[in-house]
Amino acid sequence: MIQRVQGVSNAADIGQLTGAGVASASNFGELLESAVKSVDAAQTGADAQLEGLASGRSVDLHGTMIALEEANIALRAMTSVRDKLVDAYQALWNMPI
Amino acid sequence: MSDIIDTFNVAASGLSAERLRLQTIATNMANARTTRTAEGGPFKRQVPTFEAKQLDPFGDELDRATSRVEVTGIRSDGRPPVRVYDPSHPDADANGYVSYPDVDVMQEMVDLMMTNRAYEADSSVVEATRDMALRALEIGR
Repeated sequence: MIQRVQGVSNAADIGQLTGAGVASASNFGELLESAVKSVDAAQTGADAQLEGLASGRSVDLHGTMIALEEANIALRAMTSVRDKLVDAYQALWNMPI
Repeated sequence: MSDIIDTFNVAASGLSAERLRLQTIATNMANARTTRTAEGGPFKRQVPTFEAKQLDPFGDELDRATSRVEVTGIRSDGRPPVRVYDPSHPDADANGYVSYPDVDVMQEMVDLMMTNRAYEADSSVVEATRDMALRALEIGR
C-alpha cells in the first residue's frame, strides 16, 4: 500500500516544474524533502531579486516579477501534490477491513 | 524536453530586448538636437541589433526550434547629419552651417509605440504561460 502512495508521488513530478531534478530520491521522505527544497530555493531566489529591486541594486523589473511567478507556480504545484497524497492516505485510512 | 520555465525565459528575453530598445529611443529623442559628442561631430542616431539565440543547441529538434532574443549591440545609424544654416550658433562651421543629428522625432514616436506594444505582447505571453500552468494544477481538483 505504501508503494502505491510512492507511485502517486513519483507520477506527480514537481521537480520538473521547479527545474530541480528529484529523480534519484529513493524513498518518499527524501522525495518530499527534495521537492520542498527546490520550492524553497525558488522562493529564496525570488525574495533576493525583490530585495535587490527594492534597495536599488537591480533594475530588472520584469525578471523579478517572473521569478515571483515561478516561485508561486512551484509552491502551488507542491501544494496540489500534497493534497493528492493526503487524499490517498485518507482513502487508505478509511478502508473497511 | 522544454518546460514552462523555458517559456518564461524566452518571454523575459523579449521583455529585456524591448526595454533596451526603449532606452535607445530615449537616447535618440533626448539628443535630437545635440551638436557635440565625445567623438566629435553631432550625435548619431542609435539602433539596437537583435539576434535569435537557440535556447538549447544540443537538445532534440523541438528544443532547437526554441530561440530567445539577444541584443548583439547598439550601432550608430549611418545617415549623414542634417546641415542647417545658422551662423549665430556656436557650433557653426566657417560657412555658417550647423550639423544636426538626423533624428526624426516622428519616427522615434512610432518606434516608441511599437516598443510599447511589443512589451505588452511579451508580458501577455508570460501571463498566458502562468495561467496555463495554474490551470494544469486545477486538473482533478
